[in-house]
Amino acid sequence: MSNIKTLTAKEQEILQLLKTVVDPEVAVNIVDLGLVYEINLKEDKQSIQVIMTMSTRGCPLGDVIVENVQLVIEANYSGYKADVEVVWEPEWSPDLITEAGRKAIEEL
Amino acid sequence: MQTGLSTQNAPSPSVVIPHFVFGALMFLASGIVMMLAAPSLIFHYHLNAQMLSLTHLMVLGFISVIIFGSLYQLIPVVMEVKLYSEVLAKITFYLFGVGLIILVISFWGANFGSGQNWRWFEISGTLILVAVLLFAFNTLKSASKSKRKDISNLFIVTAIIYLVLTVSLAIMMIINFALHFIPVNLLDLLKMHLNLGLMGWFLFLIIGVASKLMPMFLIIHKLPKYLLKYAYILLNAGLIMMVSAFYFYPQTWIIGLSSLLLFAGVGLFLYFNYYAFKHRLRKKLDVGLKLSKVAFLLLAFVLTLSVLDILSPDFIASFQYRIDIALIMSIIFGFLTALVLGQTYKTLPFIIWLKVYKTKVGKQKTPLPQELYSSRVAQWHTMTFLIAFLLLIVGELAAIVWLIQLAAAFFILTAALYNYNVFKIVFHKDKLLNHE
Repeated sequence: MSNIKTLTAKEQEILQLLKTVVDPEVAVNIVDLGLVYEINLKEDKQSIQVIMTMSTRGCPLGDVIVENVQLVIEANYSGYKADVEVVWEPEWSPDLITEAGRKAIEEL
Repeated sequence: MQTGLSTQNAPSPSVVIPHFVFGALMFLASGIVMMLAAPSLIFHYHLNAQMLSLTHLMVLGFISVIIFGSLYQLIPVVMEVKLYSEVLAKITFYLFGVGLIILVISFWGANFGSGQNWRWFEISGTLILVAVLLFAFNTLKSASKSKRKDISNLFIVTAIIYLVLTVSLAIMMIINFALHFIPVNLLDLLKMHLNLGLMGWFLFLIIGVASKLMPMFLIIHKLPKYLLKYAYILLNAGLIMMVSAFYFYPQTWIIGLSSLLLFAGVGLFLYFNYYAFKHRLRKKLDVGLKLSKVAFLLLAFVLTLSVLDILSPDFIASFQYRIDIALIMSIIFGFLTALVLGQTYKTLPFIIWLKVYKTKVGKQKTPLPQELYSSRVAQWHTMTFLIAFLLLIVGELAAIVWLIQLAAAFFILTAALYNYNVFKIVFHKDKLLNHE
């Protein structure tokens, strides 16, 4: 289990990749919004598990964001299966937004 | 599908989009009707045919139709269920649309005298009532499957029940013109209908939807939702007391007391919104949120006007009726219109964006939903709307017809610009951007 503060180098690469996935409502990437909780790269099983949340339950674009995460991972890690799990605990809060995310939101 | 994600629950765009197109066209028609009706809009009598034609065109044709469309999209979002029946939603749309047009034309040509032919009122009223019953069945049936029981959902469900009561009372009033079976005078019946519609249907619905969507749009957490529980109790108590008083015991003190409860409920909702806007992370507001902010400021204005209307101090006695009209106009052409204009930009672009780009996200760079319309055009119609509203209220308070006609011209301009954006969004074609 690697939460985003204890990622391996390869998992860090995946995290950087996930910065290309943007929440269309606020036009800020999901990593800087603090939506990504864990990334687990399992080389032996050729799988990449992403545990993430949404800023609110019933987010109208939630499925689109999840599909986008899957697509981006599978397009960049050929042969790997992306498994995206959405969780509601711990609940997302604005405290999880990174400094870059905060700046981007203020500049929206 | 994972719990809490609702895109896959969303209905087919063919259910929702016609509501926005029809609603936008009816807004334009309302501006034209206001222009034609202007000379009658300064007269205060309860059955002012042109006034009734205009207000029903706005509240049913523009505001309610867009709310119906939005709810078909939002119920899956806020309640995490699929819409019970898309076919029923389409039937509802046509019954409601046809009923509305007949009703508006019937009002326009009515004299409400002894020779009044009520047949077209009965036909249109029945069509609208059936449509509303189908809408209520469809949405409440969907809501009943939801496992999410929170205050937002409760407000929405209650609003739908008030809508059914509002329309049922309207058709009873039509029948009563011929049969005289309701032992209540016409003015009190009209007040019941008005309060159920404006306070029950619109206000409850707006509180339910706003309390769900505002945190998403403004990026804010931990809103004081407990305030809404108090608001729910106060508003229900006030509305039920007021409507019952008009029927059973129309005494000033009880109307005053129920008004106090309603004011307190609206006040709590306004404070909730003030809190949300004050503590938001997203400081820069897009045009949809700017219009929503304008709407809540207009609600504060409506509240002030209502207090003045109820307290009725001596200095306004000679033009009290003008305040009555200005108050109703402020709710319909101010608060509700601003909110619908704003929420269109928070709803319709997402529906079209999902329809066009859902399968392309992640594969190619797509435009953002807010890039599907012209922000500049939306800014322009925000300005023309504010000018139109100001002219209308001054025109009504001063009883100056040419000011109301000028207001109508600005409403027509507002509606034309709004229609431009609605059609631009609806007819948006796949526009994939170059890879970065």
